[in-house]
Amino acid sequence: MLTKPKLMNPTPSDPSVAAEKTQSPHHFSLSVVTGFTLLGLLVTGIWDFGGFSANLQSFYNSAAYGGNYKLLTAVSILFEGKMQSLLGIVFGAGIVLLMQRKSYPVPIQGPDVLIRRQIWFIILGLLLAFILLWPEDLLYPFGIVGILLFAFWKLPSRSLLIVALACTLIYSGKLFWNYADDKSAYQKYLAVKKVEKKFADDSATRAKKYPFDKTKDSASQKPILAQKKLADSLAKKKDTLNSRQAGEKSIWEGLAKNLTYDSTKTVSQNKSMRAGYSKLWFYVKNKSQAKESGWLYRMGVWDIGSAMLLGMALWGMGFFSRRFSSSTYLITAMVLFALGVGLAWLRIHNNAPHLTDYAKYVESHLLPYNLFYPIEKLAMATAYASLAIGLINASFLQWFWKGFAAVGNMPVTNYVLQVFLGCFIFYGYGLGYYGRFEQWELYTFVAEICLVQVVFSVLWLRYYPMGPLEWVLKCLIYRKRFSNTFDRTVSTTN
Amino acid sequence: MDQYIELGAAPVASADRIKSIDAIRGFALLGILMMNIPGFGMNWDFWYTIFTGPRSGYDYLTFKGVEVFFQGTMRGLFSMLFGAGMVLFMMNKKEQAGQPSVAVYYYRRLLWLVFFGMINAFVILWFGDILFYYGLFGMILFAFRKLAPKWLLIIGVACILFGMIQSAWRWSETREKRATYIEAMAAKKEKKKLTEEQQQAITAWQQIEKVPKPDTAATNENYRKMHGSYTTVFSYWVPMNAENEINGTYYGLWDMLAMMFIGMALFGWGFFTNKLSTSTYAMWMLLGYGIGIPFGFFLFHVDINAINHRVEFVDRWRMNPWTFQELRRVFITIGHASMLMLLYRSNWVPWLMKALSAVGQMAFTNYLMQSIICTFFFYGYGLGYYGNLHFHQIYYVVAGVWVFQLIFSSIWLRYFRFGPFEWVWRSLTYWKKQPMKL
Repeated sequence: MLTKPKLMNPTPSDPSVAAEKTQSPHHFSLSVVTGFTLLGLLVTGIWDFGGFSANLQSFYNSAAYGGNYKLLTAVSILFEGKMQSLLGIVFGAGIVLLMQRKSYPVPIQGPDVLIRRQIWFIILGLLLAFILLWPEDLLYPFGIVGILLFAFWKLPSRSLLIVALACTLIYSGKLFWNYADDKSAYQKYLAVKKVEKKFADDSATRAKKYPFDKTKDSASQKPILAQKKLADSLAKKKDTLNSRQAGEKSIWEGLAKNLTYDSTKTVSQNKSMRAGYSKLWFYVKNKSQAKESGWLYRMGVWDIGSAMLLGMALWGMGFFSRRFSSSTYLITAMVLFALGVGLAWLRIHNNAPHLTDYAKYVESHLLPYNLFYPIEKLAMATAYASLAIGLINASFLQWFWKGFAAVGNMPVTNYVLQVFLGCFIFYGYGLGYYGRFEQWELYTFVAEICLVQVVFSVLWLRYYPMGPLEWVLKCLIYRKRFSNTFDRTVSTTN
Repeated sequence: MDQYIELGAAPVASADRIKSIDAIRGFALLGILMMNIPGFGMNWDFWYTIFTGPRSGYDYLTFKGVEVFFQGTMRGLFSMLFGAGMVLFMMNKKEQAGQPSVAVYYYRRLLWLVFFGMINAFVILWFGDILFYYGLFGMILFAFRKLAPKWLLIIGVACILFGMIQSAWRWSETREKRATYIEAMAAKKEKKKLTEEQQQAITAWQQIEKVPKPDTAATNENYRKMHGSYTTVFSYWVPMNAENEINGTYYGLWDMLAMMFIGMALFGWGFFTNKLSTSTYAMWMLLGYGIGIPFGFFLFHVDINAINHRVEFVDRWRMNPWTFQELRRVFITIGHASMLMLLYRSNWVPWLMKALSAVGQMAFTNYLMQSIICTFFFYGYGLGYYGNLHFHQIYYVVAGVWVFQLIFSSIWLRYFRFGPFEWVWRSLTYWKKQPMKL
């Protein structure tokens, strides 16, 4: 249907595209930031791989002192959620990049390439979640949100920023709404408690009203005793909570219990995660399904969507093409860092009372502890990208940038590799180290995996133009077998 | 108007519309109300009451007729035509230089559909909304639009199979729970100490056994809330709607996608565009009804059994017959479609076909209007008939809405290009006010 003359021309063989990728400045910046993000994902990802669970975190967070607390706080301020937002930003930029391509290796329209790619991401994500058993997989939600937001790619940057802001506010609003729900659950709980207290008082008064005097002749007391028993049992029947009240009571109790540290929970979780494959499958399945359905619907769309839209806007503004001066990038980074760290501090400052006594927190706080988390994440993620691009010409960092860029040039391979290594090292079907390491010890694994990824990426790209999974995806998307070797003529000019 | 035609990616002029598709869509749209009306008008307990009640009387017969002949098939027909409509939309539009590509319009259109679906669910407060899902699943169909009909059919059948596997899996889980329960009860009889797992198995099974029985407290609550003010009904439905949309999207995907793919395949073969021979349509009608309807009767009686003798039912069937209900749906749906195509060709009731195609042409308007009329008629902030009519009586309301929509659509399209909500939808999609008057 679409007759673009350029489309019919199959000349640009892939190596040239790959070569262009390593040369042009915006591709290089984007690759560096992508590589940095992928490695950075591990910093909090390792919590889930290695068994530093939310339960354990709440233990350290509510204590609020000590080395573990400081490390956790530092990671939480600098990394938690930020890398996911940054991934959203580069993903959004990548969508526009893909759509702006002038030609594709086979005659096909841009939207088809994009939608097929997204569907393959979804399928790959399902494999990660249900075969490798990684419930925190990002390919599935990113695949879906990419499809949802596809229609926005051509909007001007200003409109994109407005839509991104709207998504951020909705995300924030949803956090507030959740908190309001918790608050009303607490109010209902208090009401039920009152009723319960009244029941207890009633039965106490009843006991006083009909005292049974043991000194008297028991035979003469028998009918009175029987009557009393009957009255008592009738009253008791009336004096138990009905199912609605019992439900309201248990909702709040469950909420509060969920926040407090419970050592048995960690023990049983460790046991489940170290179990064999089939047991582990059933254990992880529910988590994955909950993330792919409920979380994505309630939070994920807004969370990931705001970042992707911001990424599209930044791309359109020339942010990744180094349109601005280095000092502009650095100043932007500083300002956004300050904003992000400030908001993160506020969040962490309120998190401890929120964890230690949620009832008290609900009574005394108008706003949830994480209300500004969506803004914090985006600000800090943009700050990282800005910092990297601002320093991209610094000569002493060239080694780093090349390493990051290599990782970023094969993002899917590296993401899957990371998940594979993490699962293999820690899960029961692999080496089974889940929950056996201290928080700081886990970071030696992070360093190790990062090193493996950088070395692997650099070496691989020396011999092949594309990462292995990137190549497979390309063949699947264009439904044609391509070769994954350098064209000699191009590699000499490179 | 000239300018409007020149705009490449723009709504289809009414002359180009395929009337046969509109007629079937109109039929499906009116039919959908038959399935939806109990949801608008009464608590789901009616289901249990009728299944366990006497096997005669208007209520029972109405219910049986609707269940056997129509349940799921109108949704199926509508899904098929949605798939076909997607291909049509992409085919009808030409790419224009300097304009967003057709694909962008397609996705914008679907995003607005998702939005309208949420309005239908969260503002009009109709929990059975389907627009939300259609908007989302349509986004997947796009990648398959150029596939050969044969492959589309294969994918559609694969979706059905996947749904069946899921359902069979759930059934085997139920039976497993039953088995552990029996074991645990035997152990209890022998006064052995029960393990924690066995304790759980007992409560789990007791929960399952209880499921179909109505919970009077919940029913009363439901009745009270539905007769409340708008804010009462609103806050009652919001959490449940969210839950519905989550589960419907994540677990209900196969059911809808299957029909959409089959619809795309049938469209590719020219089924909906009146391109097959009369004998082919006749054959498919006989085949569809011939297999689907007897199977439907069988399933209906299976259902009666399942509810009246729950325990025996679980013990009796290694494979739940309901696993195969998708097949019944597909066959009857194809039967309906063939019957309509025959009726359309025979030119036997041209006035009805014309009216139906008017309804189908304004399908979006009519769908939302059904929600508006029915919520107003039944909910507390409207006329408040919720729960106050017998099962067969709510079908008088259906008949009323049908007559109204047939007449209203025919008259409206005499003066305007599109239905009112279609106009809003299109204007939003193209981000430009569309011409309305003919």
